[in-house]
Amino acid sequence: MQKNILLFGYGSFGKQLYKNLSKLGHNIKVVTSLEESENSIEDGIPITKINIKRNEDILSLGINEKSDMLYCSMNKTANNLFLVLTLRALFPKANIIAISNSFENTRKLEYAGANSVIDLYEATSRRIVNILTKPAVTRALDEIVYNQNDLKMAEILLPKNSPVDGKFVREIEFKAMGVILIAIIDKELGHELVFTDHRINHKLDCGDTLVVVAKDNDLEKFKRYIFE
Amino acid sequence: MKQTKHKLLSFAYTLEASRRYKSIKTFVYNLIENDSYPYKKYFDFFMIMVILTSVTLLVIDVKHHIPPWLDHLDLYLVTSVFITEYIARFWVYSDMHKIIIEEYEESFYFEQEVSVFRVFLKILKNKWGYISSFSAIIDLIAILPSYRGLRVLRILVLFRAFKMLRYTKSLTGFLFVLKNKKFELITLLSLSGFFIFIAGIMLYVFEGDNDNPNINNLFDAFYWALITISTVGYGDIAPITPEGRVVTMLIILTGIGLISFVTSIIVSSFSERLSVLREGRVIQDVGKKKNITVVCGYGLLGRLVCSGLVKEGVEFVVIDKDEHLAQQAYNNGYHSICADASQGDIFRELGINERISHVLCLTSDDIQNAFIAVNIKSLNEKVYVTARCSDDEIAQKMEFAHVDHVIMPEEIAGMMGAVYAGEPVAFEVLLSIIEEKGKTQIDEIQITKDSFLDNTKVGDIDFEKLKIIMLGVFRDTDSKNLGKFNFNPDNDFVLESGDNLVCIGYISAIANLKSRM
Repeated sequence: MQKNILLFGYGSFGKQLYKNLSKLGHNIKVVTSLEESENSIEDGIPITKINIKRNEDILSLGINEKSDMLYCSMNKTANNLFLVLTLRALFPKANIIAISNSFENTRKLEYAGANSVIDLYEATSRRIVNILTKPAVTRALDEIVYNQNDLKMAEILLPKNSPVDGKFVREIEFKAMGVILIAIIDKELGHELVFTDHRINHKLDCGDTLVVVAKDNDLEKFKRYIFE
Repeated sequence: MKQTKHKLLSFAYTLEASRRYKSIKTFVYNLIENDSYPYKKYFDFFMIMVILTSVTLLVIDVKHHIPPWLDHLDLYLVTSVFITEYIARFWVYSDMHKIIIEEYEESFYFEQEVSVFRVFLKILKNKWGYISSFSAIIDLIAILPSYRGLRVLRILVLFRAFKMLRYTKSLTGFLFVLKNKKFELITLLSLSGFFIFIAGIMLYVFEGDNDNPNINNLFDAFYWALITISTVGYGDIAPITPEGRVVTMLIILTGIGLISFVTSIIVSSFSERLSVLREGRVIQDVGKKKNITVVCGYGLLGRLVCSGLVKEGVEFVVIDKDEHLAQQAYNNGYHSICADASQGDIFRELGINERISHVLCLTSDDIQNAFIAVNIKSLNEKVYVTARCSDDEIAQKMEFAHVDHVIMPEEIAGMMGAVYAGEPVAFEVLLSIIEEKGKTQIDEIQITKDSFLDNTKVGDIDFEKLKIIMLGVFRDTDSKNLGKFNFNPDNDFVLESGDNLVCIGYISAIANLKSRM
């Protein structure tokens, strides 16, 4: 699923976002404010410079609020907050993701209208603590989350007439397929995400979402099995 | 003569070779001098008790004469304790036999005769360092009251109270503060001494010749001058002539100035030294523990990490160069030290070779983090260093410097942002697992020998009943490295003791499983 992404800011956060997003093959347009540094030129990425204080500049980017994802990753928190505020005012329905560097700012960014806020230090500090106290968890997460191996976490939206349609979770041989099911959104139970450690025997229907962890090739096989 | 020399030398070598001698000496040293030795506090407590008893006896003796057996107890027991202590301190102050050996080897090298006299002189010079030290003098004076011939000596028992300073760290700190302002205090003291001298003589000249019945000699005049200049003013001796009153007015004015001066010097020196005293306390506290983690940098990330460490019950010390940040960490109830983590001193004081197991470099400056990391690794290669970094190139250099774990907050955020773009639900799962906000968490469980999971096939374990999802197993884990990660092991995979299971589950389900191990 390729997405159109607007990435605001190309500082240390923006750079990493660009790297990871482009790896997944999304369509990215990088936008920076006029005063931000020019390091993207070295990386050879086309870049649009605007004055974020002017509405015309932002409107001239041609944002489609239904399909575009807007990532706000300016280096200065004040700019980032202002940007989220502006974007939300201009595009009430847009999907805005912001990067925050503290619990305090997360609250402000959420209030300003970001759909999702990634707290830069929260995740990092958990990881550092885990290195000390839970080395095995750290390694496992490294392999699954931080893509250091062929392990991967993925979500699968069940299509119509898939082979698992109408079946119960217990009836499906996930293990034999090399797949671990860890969470599920069962539409019959609402839109809430449920971890499967409770072992509720969900009935799978079209429109449910499965979150699984598997090795790359097993995941491909599983996806083929579902979608055929 | 030659025989004595020979005997002396062989005795020195026997001591040098004797393990037993060394261990006894180390034990005694630890007991009386080493603040981080756990049993020293019992010794200190015992000594304080002995001193208090002897002072109490002195006080009781003033009005009610104490029975002779108590007096003897005081005389023999207390004195012998003090003398033993004095000799022990004298003994552990330095190694005499080493001086002998050194001297012998030196003269052997220069092909000279060993002179017993020179060796003796050298030892004396060395030990004189102990004898002439302030605390040793007090110790010696505290022994003197045992000599009952002179009544005045009894009052020296109070020096035993002074001795208590030695056994309480905070009181030593007070002396330390005064020592730091030695120059200022001495200047002021000699200045006031000068004023008292002049004023005393002047008053004596004006009123000493029978004008004032209270001033009979020079001592009275000096006494009056001190009482006046210190603004105490008993009034038992007062000037009666106009000249004497003029002198009084003058020294009262200088007295006020001097007193406030001294007060301000002591107060300011205390506020300057307060943090140092506190840090000394931190180092002392840490000295009693093992496996200490050092957090360098108390910025945004440092704060979050510290609160995480507290939750997990990890012992740690915060170091920050910035005084305010170090103070903040202290206010939050952590052990904190204001110091430069890129220098070796502070880590040596904390015991880098014995106590520190992990160091986290979390300042916001990459170069600084690399600097700290290299500093640690050069002091002790075995300490596990985790460094934060926001630049790929610097991260490579850190890995080159053998930093064990390089963490890039921006990379983590960038990675998560990318997951969100394609798979928002997986992102939510990730966030909840990584940030540990929800009740479902990821944790590790080590299989202990003969527990119900030891020697069990994965297929035979009822994970449904345990209410746990097993992601995988780490096998062949040794003390330093984790072994291979077996993701989603097959049903006939047999679990062994020592394996680390990585599981997702409800907090209580995981706690339950852990308690069964």
